[in-house]
Amino acid sequence: MTETVLQTQGLTKYYGSTLAVDHLDLKIPRGSICGFVGRNGAGKTTAIKLMLGLLRPTAGSSRLLGCDSAALTPAIRQRIGYVTEGHRLFRWMSINELQKFQRAFFPKQWDDKLFADMIEYFNLPRKRKIKHLSNGERAQVSLALTLAPNPELLIMDDPTLGLDAAIRRQFLEGMIELIMRQGRTVLFSSHILGDVERVSDRIVVIDKGVLRANCSLEEFRAAVKKVILSFADSPPAEVDIDGMLHCRRSENDLELILVGPADEQIAEWAKKNRAQKYQIVKMNLEDQFIEFTAPANHRRLFQWEDK
Amino acid sequence: MALWIQISSGSGKPIYVQVAEQISEAIAKNELASGDKLPAVRKLAAELVINPNTVARAYTRLEQAGLVTTKTGSGTYVSDPKLRRSDAADINILSERMDTLITRGLNLGLEEQDLITMFKGRMAKFVNRQTERKND
Amino acid sequence: MRFSALLRKELRESLPWMLLAAIIFLAIGGFALRQAQLYGRYDWSERDFSSGSFTGSYGLQYRRSPLQLIGIILLLTSIGLGLVLGVRHFWIPYFTRTWPFLIHRSVNRSTIFWAKLAAAIISFLISVGAIWVALYSYSCDPERFTMLPIKRVFIEGWLFILLGLIVYLGTALTALSTARWYTTKIFSLAFATVIICAVMFEWRLSWAFAAIIIGAAILLSQINYTILNREF
Repeated sequence: MTETVLQTQGLTKYYGSTLAVDHLDLKIPRGSICGFVGRNGAGKTTAIKLMLGLLRPTAGSSRLLGCDSAALTPAIRQRIGYVTEGHRLFRWMSINELQKFQRAFFPKQWDDKLFADMIEYFNLPRKRKIKHLSNGERAQVSLALTLAPNPELLIMDDPTLGLDAAIRRQFLEGMIELIMRQGRTVLFSSHILGDVERVSDRIVVIDKGVLRANCSLEEFRAAVKKVILSFADSPPAEVDIDGMLHCRRSENDLELILVGPADEQIAEWAKKNRAQKYQIVKMNLEDQFIEFTAPANHRRLFQWEDK
Repeated sequence: MALWIQISSGSGKPIYVQVAEQISEAIAKNELASGDKLPAVRKLAAELVINPNTVARAYTRLEQAGLVTTKTGSGTYVSDPKLRRSDAADINILSERMDTLITRGLNLGLEEQDLITMFKGRMAKFVNRQTERKND
Repeated sequence: MRFSALLRKELRESLPWMLLAAIIFLAIGGFALRQAQLYGRYDWSERDFSSGSFTGSYGLQYRRSPLQLIGIILLLTSIGLGLVLGVRHFWIPYFTRTWPFLIHRSVNRSTIFWAKLAAAIISFLISVGAIWVALYSYSCDPERFTMLPIKRVFIEGWLFILLGLIVYLGTALTALSTARWYTTKIFSLAFATVIICAVMFEWRLSWAFAAIIIGAAILLSQINYTILNREF
């Protein structure tokens, strides 16, 4: 069993009476790239800030690299890279000044060549101030600042939000590049499921502050299925299949979103309930995510009726 | 070599399947011949910008299908066709691909016999390419 | 290395306000002194109004050194600089959302605060302290002024500079406090005001210094506690 680098236990956070994170139990093993997904307001940023000790949990605890998040020592922080939401950096600093500032906090581990190479590759003017850079350029600076200290654990809060495809790809490349070094771990939140699918080997899904999935990406891909069954007459009133998440009915059809059951199990159920035919639809990760986090009995926003 | 592998991250197909399928296609077309070395896992991962574990998984899948063999400390090589075992999963993928083709053909109004003729014609190309390469 | 990186950052952020305070203080203080020097020859106290004619000597005979007039300017500049620096160091990071980046430094949280305080102290020393010393020495020249300042005036100036730092600490604590405005958030600024009043009405220097030290100690311990425990 590989070592756990990030662990939360019953991590809970209330803002006043609003529950933002609800008993989060997470374990991220060393060496993985973990995609942290959830809808807007699902509690991703709050969870990340709790992990980094920027927020105090209402209940529960979290540990990074074996150290309690509420009491991260400077030595531990030095091993953790953190990209803040929106890449907020000191606006008056130039890239050179920011490099000098950041370097001071990572003696011995700062890779000046990597930083220089990245800035050159991004074609950024080193003397320009952060406030005069575009969002994309600021994100690139932030990426270079975070990768240059060679962090053992990299936590990024929606790093690719609002960025173009090329810069997004650079972030993915950065993560892959980091993970290739021995014993590095990445946790990044994102709304772009395609990115998550591309680079992650683990996925964490939270919804309304509740942990819904924490598994390998392949497990998640294999687990969430859409099945369409057709019946000669109306479909059975009671759908008693394991792992059913959603059930949508039309006159003769039944559309099921299932989590977990094997294809054989579905075939058996279809046979038992005398379905004329059934089809297991291969969903992409985005569809899986949308179905997985949809509220019970949700309908499409725009429903087209045949008339 | 990685340039011809196309990753589509929005598709229903897991990425490791995409990688494995495209490599096996290259092997079938003899673009990758027996004894050729596959790129190192980390190199391919960096080039395709996908997780190294995904590449490793694709390689394992190819190895299970008998298409490649891994020599410890040296790398992954395309195996000798004579030594390949056929694998149920791979045959499954094959039939699924055939389904797509047959569906398209039938929807275009082709008859069963037309499809068989077409299949033979295409097949000949694969065989020709294989013999050509052997003669080199 | 880490502390000096933090200190450099804070000093750079304080720089525009340091300069502004220095310019204001130097301009107004210097102008006042110069005016006193130029027009200080007419002795108004000896003017004999009853006779309806000028009998007194022409020239203003100050009973005190004109430096004393500048004390109030020093106090106001100090308070202003304290407020502005407090806002710059502790409030602006909320708006620029740079607190998370700053807090996730490989230093203790209190180090981040000490760096800010050190930058504030240096700012005060340079932009009001140094100018106060300069103005004091200017007014000590008997060639220029008939009345020379007494030591006490000079020391009172430093009291005012310390009061500026108290205002800085009060602003810092108000900015860091998570309470609501209409409850205890404003308390620390009010506390700074109380210290100012206490010092202004206290004639004995030792008591005034004691009030400042006690006030600073209370504010510092509260700030340290808040910064260690608050959320960013």
